[in-house]
Order: sequence, then structure tokens, then C-alpha cells
Amino acid sequence: MSLEKTLSQIKGSFSDYVLGLTEYAGEQIIHIKGQGVIDVLKTFKDAGFNFLADLTAIDNLTLGGFERFAVVYHLLSHGSAERVTIKAYVPEDNPVLPSIELLWKTADWQEREVFDLFGIEFEGHPNLTRIMNPDDYEGHPLRKDYPRLGRKERYDFPVIDRGIQKQKRTE
Amino acid sequence: MTRVTEQQLETDRMILNFGPHHPSTHGTLRIIMELEGETVTKATPEIGYLHSGFEKLGEDLDFNQYITITDRMNYLSPLCNNVAYALAAEKLMELEVSKRTEYIRVLMCELSRIADHVLNVGMLAVDLGAMTAFLYGFRVRENIYDLFEIATGTRLTTSYTLVGGLMRDIPEGFDKAVLKVLDEVDEVANDIETLLNKNRIWQNRTKNIGIISKENAISYGISGPMARASGIDWDIRVNEPYSSYEDFDFDVAIALNGDVFDRYLVRMEEVRQSIKICKQSLDKMPTGDVSIDPDLGFNLPPKDEVYNSIEGLIYHFEVTMPNRGMTPPVGEAYVPTESPNGELAFYIISDGNRTPYRVRTRPPSLINYSIFSKLIEGHMLSDAPAIIGSINVIAGELDR
Amino acid sequence: MNHDDIKSNVLTTTIERAINWGRKNSLWPMPFGTACCGIEFMAVLAARTDISRFGAEAIRFSPRQSDLLIVAGRISIKMMPVLIRIYEQMPEPKWVISMGACASTGGVFDTYSVIQGIDNFIPVDVYIPGCPPRPEGVVESLMKLQNLVDKEKLSDYALSSSK
Repeated sequence: MSLEKTLSQIKGSFSDYVLGLTEYAGEQIIHIKGQGVIDVLKTFKDAGFNFLADLTAIDNLTLGGFERFAVVYHLLSHGSAERVTIKAYVPEDNPVLPSIELLWKTADWQEREVFDLFGIEFEGHPNLTRIMNPDDYEGHPLRKDYPRLGRKERYDFPVIDRGIQKQKRTE
Repeated sequence: MTRVTEQQLETDRMILNFGPHHPSTHGTLRIIMELEGETVTKATPEIGYLHSGFEKLGEDLDFNQYITITDRMNYLSPLCNNVAYALAAEKLMELEVSKRTEYIRVLMCELSRIADHVLNVGMLAVDLGAMTAFLYGFRVRENIYDLFEIATGTRLTTSYTLVGGLMRDIPEGFDKAVLKVLDEVDEVANDIETLLNKNRIWQNRTKNIGIISKENAISYGISGPMARASGIDWDIRVNEPYSSYEDFDFDVAIALNGDVFDRYLVRMEEVRQSIKICKQSLDKMPTGDVSIDPDLGFNLPPKDEVYNSIEGLIYHFEVTMPNRGMTPPVGEAYVPTESPNGELAFYIISDGNRTPYRVRTRPPSLINYSIFSKLIEGHMLSDAPAIIGSINVIAGELDR
Repeated sequence: MNHDDIKSNVLTTTIERAINWGRKNSLWPMPFGTACCGIEFMAVLAARTDISRFGAEAIRFSPRQSDLLIVAGRISIKMMPVLIRIYEQMPEPKWVISMGACASTGGVFDTYSVIQGIDNFIPVDVYIPGCPPRPEGVVESLMKLQNLVDKEKLSDYALSSSK
């Protein structure tokens, strides 16, 4: 099914989830609420969009938007070479949405990365732990209110004492 | 007297740490494996040992400065990353570049693809014990480094493209140098194939190891030579062409079994197709300018105008000074490109300021690597380096 | 034994010269390559610029069998405990070369998860600037390290006196 027909079908059947439909530079973007992500993506998958290209998140603190966090899915259809972007919004005080790991296995590690860097939780994920930062790290680095230089974690290591005293010579 | 094998022996699974510092994990990967004898029953990869905060840096550097950071992601083929970022930024700002820029970008991408595939095959060979392919491959790679040095100034971290064009045009005589190197690449590819293709040890160690089926490949999001070795007929240069790839005539290599041997064959065939594309790009190179009009306010003017005329200096300051800078429209852009590893794309969101609001890299290494724990189950411990080598994991892109 | 016990005389200086000559011409490196500098280090080992003419061709990936640690590439906070553990496993005499801008000072990455210079935690002997440094730069630094090794004395390796 082509992109136009799929989008109008989704607007018709899931109208309580759909928040808007925009377009930029020739690409279609559909904005939905976080809770409806499994139904909408399953409709896309049945319509021929069989490849999940990318899964990421945006923190809309200074950009504005429907809610603070948006999880972005990029889908591709191998049959008709069309792409679509889906943004699922979750609020700041309860950043939880269902996991789509049963639809595409590639969502496993990418959702873990979104959890590590943004703090958004995915229900139904088999192993939601930190993937990029150490396990005892506190904070979610890619949020807009986290400083780029970190909170002193990079200085928190022991200085090695060698046991011998070598004289510093120049060459 | 009973023999030892007739008695009941206590066995237990052994947990082996294939640690972050290991010669045959290329880069900082860690795998915790449970072994039953020599067979692996479960493998858990752990990543993140090179996480450097690229996406956080993208929010503080402006569009032209971030190109220097993109080199350090996939450091085996840095020019492909530069081109991918420049394409995404140009789509965001709705700029059109000249034909000559597009042809030079294609030439540089294909040379990087040759360098990447040759090194990957060399490292796979070294892990399985065949050191000669590595040394041959590195000789070719040094020649390609010489070409990059003539065109861009450095060997590895080139930062060659700018938003709207290139840093500088290719010099006179570059095409003769490229043709000479391409002949050497052809000979070395023949040598490597002669050494490895019909070699019984190579075939025993790579055939029927790590088979990926077509459904698994689509479900796990695999792209690039790994997907084409499993029979998926998808190459972004052909199906969704960018940067004038539709003007070039080349074939796409596809294999049907999906094991390590097929991925090696697909990569060697792609090297030969890249040689064809490079020669076509040099034959049909159009003349013209490599930067767009500086009046639009988006790109840096050429250096000799900056130093010698007042307009060039003013345009340069308008783009680079901290209180000025380019003003892109509010929007977002995602442009997929075919890097040697798979689908590499940058997703840039801008809110109208001189720095992007969010820069995201779609990392092919991370997405391709997630299938590893499924592939190694049931194989032996010594198949692990073969499978990791065929996935072509690059730690800089994996962890960003 | 502390420093005052080893006084220099013709016997000790001859022994020092012999030992230093042996050590400097057979430094066995252990590459701790993480990122782009690791690829440039592989180019140093390959045929065009090769360091085996300096006796440093036996690349050992085991810390117990090497005496030169070359840290090539950026070190993140998850990798730093691994680096410290490997440094502590190397037996004396050992030297450290910090290759590239990221290992020496953090490089372009002034972010929450990159260590801003390994010399904050590990003693470093030679720094190589560059991003990545050319292979000729690595060879030059190896020669500088050889000059440093040449000047060492026996009293350097005496244990520091305990109070």
C-alpha cells in the first residue's frame, strides 16, 4: 500500500492517537501519542513498511511540541522505496511507552540506548539496562538539562602509585 | 577395569570473558560467553567502552565544525561520514550543490569504500591466521592514503566536505594518480582472491558459519554487504540514489547463503565495482565551481578570496563568528547513504540557531552487531573471531 | 635499599650502559588501541613505516610479556578501570607512550565521558601530538623514548624508602 493511503487509513482508524501530520523537505511526519505506538506501527508494517531504519528520541525542552519527550521511528518500505517518520510523544512526569521489540528485533538495543541517554522507559522490553554508560552511572546525559562536561565522573579514578621513584629527565 | 569415559563425569558450563582488550576483537568490545566444552551456548555482548558523547557535542558545535567530528566515527572510511552529514545539512537548508561537487564526492566515497573493504578482509584473514592478506591490503591502503593527502591534506581525518560544497577542489594531475592506484588495487584484489578463495582451510573456517536468514536480516535491521550476502536486494545507491549516483553504471553484488564466506565474496566484488565507478567518475567529471554562492549565507567562500578581497572576508566572518553564523530554517532532515558498513544516515533537527538542536547518527555497526548473540549459539569458540570480523564492527561508530 | 646505597663507580656505570643498550633496542610494545589512532598504529606496524627495525616488532597483547604500553585513542570512563588494571599487571621496567591528542589531553572530546588525559592517573613518558599522528611521528617518539631509556640509572629502580 502506498504511503498516502496508509496515512489516511491511520488517521481514520486511530484518530484518538493521532496528534498531527506535518511535512518538511518532501518527507512525511506523523505525530501520535505514546500509548498508541504498537497499533500504529503494526498497521504500517502490514502495509508494506517492513524495515525499521532508526529509533531515537528528542528532548523538546526548548524546541516546544506536544510533550517534553518524543520517540522517533523511521520506517522504510523495501517494495516501494518510501520512507515515513513517526513521532510518539510522552510526558515528562511519566515517560513510559510500550516496547516494539516483538515487531522488530532491532528495537532491542536501540531502546536500551534511548533509556540510557534519555530516561524513557519501555514496557515489555526483555532487558532494559544501561548500554553505553557504566551500570552505576547516575543521570541521563542527553537531556537538555544535563551539562555537557558531566558531573565530575571523569575525574573519579585512583592515581596510580608506582612504588619506585624515577627521576624526571628530559631527552 | 572401567575406562574413564564410562564413568559419570561432572560437567559444568564455563564462563569466559572475551574482554575489552583483546587482539581479535577489533576495538573495545566485550563478550561474556558461556561455554560447554568448546561450544558456545550463550553470548552476551557488552558495549559502550568508547562512548564519547558525540551527540551531545553536536548541540554545541555549528554545522561546519561538526564535520571534523564526523570523521572520527567510522575511522576506516571517514569521507563517507563527511558526505553523509553534508547531505543531511544540505537537505535541511534546501541547498543545491553543483554537479562537479557531486561527482567528486562520489569518487571520494568509492575510494573510501575500497579502503574499508580491503582492511576488513585483511583483519578477517589475520584473525583466522592468514597474515599475508593483511600486509597486501595495507600496502593498497597506504597508496589510497597518499591520494587523500594530495586532495585533502591529511591521511585519515579528512573533513573534506562543507555544507554546500567541498573544502577545496581536486588539484591538477589527480586523475592520473587515481588511475595508477586503481590498477594496483585491481592487482592486489586478484592476489587476495587467489590466496583465499579456493583455499581449503579458509573455506572450512568460513563456510556455513554464522548464517543469517532473510527474515532475520530484515527483522534485525541489517543493511549493507551483510544484508546483500543473505539475498536482500537493497542498495541505497541504486534504489534511492543521492549525489548523482543515478548517472553511474555498476552492478550490485548479492549472495544467497548468508554465511561468513558469502560476506567476504560480496565485499571483494564491491571493491571491483567501486573501481568501475571511480573510473567513470574521472571520465565524466564536469567542470565548474565546488562551492555555492556565498551570498546565500551558508557556506564558507574559497580561501584565496578570504585572504585577498574584502567581500570574501565579510562572508567568512558572517558564517564563523560566534555572534553571527548561518540561520537555517526550523525543520529536520534524514538522508540515508550507503556506507561500506550499511545504511549510514544523519538525522539533524534545527530550531533556527547557528548550532543544530539534535544530531543523531544512525550507526550501521551497532544495528548489525545486535544479531551477534543469535549467530554464535551452537558454534565453537574459534568461530567467534570469524563472525565478528565479518560483521565489521567499528567501535567509534558503535558507541559514538 | 635506597638511593644512597648505590654509588656510581666504573662497575655500575658499565653495567648500566649494557642494560640500557639491551632494553632500548628491544622494547616490546603492547598496543592499547581504542580508536582512530589504533588504525594509524597498525599502519606503523605495516610495511611502509615499520618499527621492527627498532627491535619493537614483537607485539604482545599480554601485559605480562611486554614493557611498553602505547595508549592510542580516546579513553572513556567505562574503559579507564581496564586501562588501570592492565597497567598494574605489567612488570617493571615499563614505559608508557600516550599517542594522539585524545589520550594526552582529551582531544576534541570535552564531554562527560572522556578522560581528559591519562596522565592524570598514570605516569606517562612520551606524548605524541596529532589527531592522528603520522607514522613518522610515532617512530620519532620511539627514538625519543630510546634516548630516555639510555639515561636511566640503577638507582632509579630502587624502592622508595619507607618511613
